[in-house]
Amino acid sequence: MAALGRCARRLLLLRGFPARGARAGSGPGGEAAAVAVTPPPAARAPRQQQHEEEEEEGSMVAMLRKNPDYHGFDPDPVIDLWNMRLAFFFGVSLCIVVGATFLHYLPDHGMRKWARREAEQKVKERERLGLPIMDSNYFDPSKLVLPDEE
Amino acid sequence: MLKILLPMTALLLTTTICKPKQLWPTTSINTFGIALLSLQWFKPSQELTMSFSNYYTSIDYISAPLLTLSCWLTPLMILASQNHLIMEPISRKRTFIFITTLLQISLVLAFSATELIMFFIMFETTLIPTLAIITRWGNQVERLNAGTYFLFYTLIGSLPLLIALLSLQNQIGTLSTYMIQLNQPTMLNTWAHTTWWFALLTAFMIKMPLYGLHLWLPKAHVEAPIAGSMILAAVLLKLGGYGIIRIMPTLNPLSKTLSYPFMVLALWGVIMTGSICLRQTDLKSLIAYSSVSHMGLVIAATLTQTQWAYTGAITLMIAHGLTSSMLFCLANTNYERTHSRTLLLARNMQLLYPLMGLWWLLTSLANMAIPPTINLMGELTIIASLFNWSNITILATGLGTIITATYTLYMLSTTQWGGTPSFIKMMPPTHTREHLLMILHILPMTLLMMKPELIWNTFY
Repeated sequence: MAALGRCARRLLLLRGFPARGARAGSGPGGEAAAVAVTPPPAARAPRQQQHEEEEEEGSMVAMLRKNPDYHGFDPDPVIDLWNMRLAFFFGVSLCIVVGATFLHYLPDHGMRKWARREAEQKVKERERLGLPIMDSNYFDPSKLVLPDEE
Repeated sequence: MLKILLPMTALLLTTTICKPKQLWPTTSINTFGIALLSLQWFKPSQELTMSFSNYYTSIDYISAPLLTLSCWLTPLMILASQNHLIMEPISRKRTFIFITTLLQISLVLAFSATELIMFFIMFETTLIPTLAIITRWGNQVERLNAGTYFLFYTLIGSLPLLIALLSLQNQIGTLSTYMIQLNQPTMLNTWAHTTWWFALLTAFMIKMPLYGLHLWLPKAHVEAPIAGSMILAAVLLKLGGYGIIRIMPTLNPLSKTLSYPFMVLALWGVIMTGSICLRQTDLKSLIAYSSVSHMGLVIAATLTQTQWAYTGAITLMIAHGLTSSMLFCLANTNYERTHSRTLLLARNMQLLYPLMGLWWLLTSLANMAIPPTINLMGELTIIASLFNWSNITILATGLGTIITATYTLYMLSTTQWGGTPSFIKMMPPTHTREHLLMILHILPMTLLMMKPELIWNTFY
């Protein structure tokens, strides 16, 4: 309800009517009070009224008045549109999509994923055959050449 | 390497001579192209050593993510700045982009440097463009003070670092990152070596920042324009972390005893800055203190020098870079409309800007380290490795996690929910540009969730 009122006020503003301050969501009573305050501007000269509004507005709304499809890039509508298209193309279509594809298909560095799969396959195989999964010796003891007892 | 450095240098020229109407589109295209090319660094050609090597630069699994992050952030900085520079004359716009590109070049050279002196020179070089951005394009009077704090805090640490690096060169014979890790332990338990140890680390601690040396950060982050805040939070802080990781191999065996005060300060800082966040009235200041909190975890991790800790540190650095930069962009969307950073001034924004509310929600969730984000991966790895180092740290890190969640929720609920304040007269709608900026932050975070091995390599 309050949101609708706010949207309506924004639309009114863009069409050149003064927008009074939004009341904190108080319901019908607040809305009626806001509407009741609105009438006086008809007494002022239109140009002065617009000038005062523009002073309150700031550059963002001024941009939107001149170019309702303002994307946020440039006051000139053509450059604004093209800048938006280029930013989206190079940013999303190239960097994110093509970049992510490149990164996805990177080779398995250091054979880590292969090692994991190999280990899982070996464990499954050894369990199937009933063999112990791993030997607790890292090296084969028969191949170690130890010095004599001195 | 030259594929990236030459286009960046060419961008310096393009910025000065291209037509005024095409300035922003051209620079956006160029920086996005550079960002695309920077992804090649994730494909290391060597198993163990560094890749893409030449005499001066090389890439390994620690520098590649940070390099790509700094190359990705430059087009985002250019996107973010287009609105607040809209009223500036063309020559100042050109200067701004020129400075941003200079910053990017020095960052790329810093992260890829093989020689520690080159790293130091580039570390210092990043100060000047950042100072220019803060003091020239900041919005309040305090920016001059902020610039002074930023510059001199860093320089006070850097002068001892220079002397210490040169004496390290004297001692070891080389400062090449390939060679110093192969050395005998150099730091013995003498007063001279203790000072040497502190001299080598203090500059990076100030940069990160460590809790006791962090005063420059809230000032600099708050007073900087959006591009300055983004690059400061996302990349410049990580220069400190990267420096610590590179220098730690030379600091044995003294690190075993001397890292204690830094670890205590870092962990205490996590809790303290988290608590300060709960009392902040300024939105950007809240995000700045949040950065200190996260970086405290990174410092504690890098000082333990274990594999898990390094992995967690790098992951959290990348994750925090993207998250923090996105938070600053979101705060900037509020600032550009209300021209105030007061947290209570822009309440119930979700009602006015539902889509922006989605970005606020996702970023806050990421900042809270929700699974499965890379923020969680980093934080959890760090917490686990710190627990392994000493059981008691779990008290600090656990409490830190809770406080992080609390202030992040506080920030989210204050800006997004509650009743609309009666003093909001008019809030212009959001721009496509702003949503694009948020998308370009959140998509890399989401994609990294799918393939964290890119930033993890020390785990493997």
